[in-house]
Amino acid sequence: MGARDPLYPQSDNLNDWFPQRDTSDVLTVNGLRLGVVVGGSLSKGLDVKLDRETVIEDLAVGRYVVVRGLNKRFFCMITDITLDTTNPAIRSDPPDLTDQFLREIYSGTAAFGTLHVTPMLTIDLEAGEPRPVKTIPSHFMPVEIATTDDVNDVFGREDATHFNVGAPLELEETQINLDLKRLVERSVGVFGKSGTGKSFLTRILLAGIIQNDVAVNLIFDMHNDYGWAARDERGSEAKGLKQLFSSKVAIFTLDEDATRRRNAKYDHVVTIGYDDIEPEDLAMLKTTMDLSDPMIDAAYELQKVWKRDWITHLIDASSDDLDMLKEMIAASPASVQALQRRLRRFERFDFLKPHALDDSVRKIIEFIEQRKSVVLEFGRYGNALEAYILVANYLTRRIHAMYVQAVERALGDENMEPPQLLITIEEAHKFLDPLIARQTIFGTIARELRKYNVTLLVVDQRPSGIDDEVMSQVGTRVTALLDNDRDIAAVLMGISGSAGLREVLARLDTSQQAIIMGHAVPMPVVVKTRTYDTEFYRSLGSAPAGDGGSQRSKPDRESRRIR
Amino acid sequence: MTDTTAQQPIIGSVLRASTVGFVCGTRSQDIVHPSFGAFVRTRHGQMGEIDVIGLIHAISIDDDPLVRQLVLANNMTPAAARDQRENRMVPVEISVVNIGFIQYDYIYHNLPPRPPLSLDPVQLCDDETIMAFTERLDFLRLVLNTNDVPTEELLAAALLHASNARPEAQRYAFLVHAGRRLAGLLAHDPPRLQHLLRLINPN
Repeated sequence: MGARDPLYPQSDNLNDWFPQRDTSDVLTVNGLRLGVVVGGSLSKGLDVKLDRETVIEDLAVGRYVVVRGLNKRFFCMITDITLDTTNPAIRSDPPDLTDQFLREIYSGTAAFGTLHVTPMLTIDLEAGEPRPVKTIPSHFMPVEIATTDDVNDVFGREDATHFNVGAPLELEETQINLDLKRLVERSVGVFGKSGTGKSFLTRILLAGIIQNDVAVNLIFDMHNDYGWAARDERGSEAKGLKQLFSSKVAIFTLDEDATRRRNAKYDHVVTIGYDDIEPEDLAMLKTTMDLSDPMIDAAYELQKVWKRDWITHLIDASSDDLDMLKEMIAASPASVQALQRRLRRFERFDFLKPHALDDSVRKIIEFIEQRKSVVLEFGRYGNALEAYILVANYLTRRIHAMYVQAVERALGDENMEPPQLLITIEEAHKFLDPLIARQTIFGTIARELRKYNVTLLVVDQRPSGIDDEVMSQVGTRVTALLDNDRDIAAVLMGISGSAGLREVLARLDTSQQAIIMGHAVPMPVVVKTRTYDTEFYRSLGSAPAGDGGSQRSKPDRESRRIR
Repeated sequence: MTDTTAQQPIIGSVLRASTVGFVCGTRSQDIVHPSFGAFVRTRHGQMGEIDVIGLIHAISIDDDPLVRQLVLANNMTPAAARDQRENRMVPVEISVVNIGFIQYDYIYHNLPPRPPLSLDPVQLCDDETIMAFTERLDFLRLVLNTNDVPTEELLAAALLHASNARPEAQRYAFLVHAGRRLAGLLAHDPPRLQHLLRLINPN
């Protein structure tokens, strides 16, 4: 037909007048295609009509899908799955689907499945950098199951600062790598109802942090889960951090007998002197020990009268002694007597002595200066919440004060600053309750972010009990199954696209599944967490069990000092 | 396509036509071949390049004055009846609805740009043409929107014709494919869809 004028094709062939658009380069499908985008919005998520071939039962909320737009890949998470029909009348008169012919026709046409997916981030085809999502793909763009390459493009490869915590749902050959540097620079929360594997999740995170040396840990180990071998709910034994990283972890204990009974090799026995406890340390025990404001006021007054030994004096005081006090202090005798009864509970705790055997705070600081993580085992005192709160608060207040001084003295010189410290506390809502969070050291640490190189790793089953302001400062949230609506709302507070995540969160498996969201991951992700087993130990390059028993290791004097 | 097309029997010639359909007339003894829902094609008389494809939706045998008289006659002989059938004055009319056309071997599922001319020959489509034409099913909508024809029955018959034009192994898959297209087109009318599917259900 020779050269053609596109405006006036010299032809009777309609194809010359209405050439068909070649869309093969646009609608390229790399992974397993699920369907096409048929509607939605940025704020409410996208609706995807499933292809006929897609087996709806194989999909699950929390799974990643990728929408391949013209210039971008959109990473989305499945947040809901629905059944739909083209005409509601079909519901009242459903076809006879025992007939295979009818079944093959109706499935995917008149009756079909839809997905609701929440866009999380985009990757420009050219730039290749993951970015927060600010737009949505156009109509009828293909939706696919995310491939290993897609996941790797978002979460990066495992390297010195990226630690493999598990695999995304249904993509077990790939891995989710947490950015550990970002993880520790803000506070971290590990949440989940009882029995969902919070301790194992925490142990995996701590192992990654210690292995890659991104922060030093101080772990208040309430149930002796982290330092030495612990048994999981199925009865199998899991190695403790000391066994995995013998040269990087020290075990301190409050209960020497219990630690010895477990054959755990400890580095130091912590004792606290009554004379070191200040009224500020009691303020955190207000709820736990049922201390009233007048009792706290009385404590301050007693300290003025009896100086450092005020607790020993009060515990030993007879009724005559208390009578004499009436004239010396303004506090009511009833408050003093009540305080005395409360403080006598301390006598059950053997680690509390009139005078401490040595300076445990100093000892901990020495290990931290050597970049050694410290696990403080509570032994039998782990079941006494007041002991846990008292000790955690006592030590943290003093360590934090030293950190503040050291950071301020460094005057911004990073080489002079003390190492990043991550303090792990369990039952965090007892420390970060809205009533006390503003006054306590843990509330302060959570709020001041990374200013003084100290952040928190809070482990808790009731996140709704944690102060909102503190919660908003928790940068990365690792959440196992939660089923209480208030807890779910608390965890999702401040997370974009949280409406969709609510469904995902409430439907996690009861073990080995968690959703990670926030600062350390580019987008929320549901992971099947790594199994804490010999393969995990091997990947950490750990020494065989039993090697971690260096007896009372000596601090390295060449390290930076925190004074 | 052309070789086998030439061998297909001519079933009549165009009597009257429009772009939406045409009527072809034939002798009464020639109506053994055409059947309701069959695919037919007519070659455009003048242009020569456009074959109109249609579906037979009605075959009617009109009366004439002689038939009326014969019907009233007391003792009609078989010879008279045969004579009337073979030499009747009014042709048998085969009504066709246009569903597409073929131009330069390319198939369009649309109404032809011009109707066939009167006396253009009309022949049944061969299996090859039917298969090629029904590879796409865009004509279904054209038929569904046609007035004054029993659309469900016509479509069902046409689809069964198209299915039978295929090798046996492909017939079921073709009907399922067509059923899915119908499910999309008749989404607003489930009872009509169910009726149509019942008509083409091979089980």
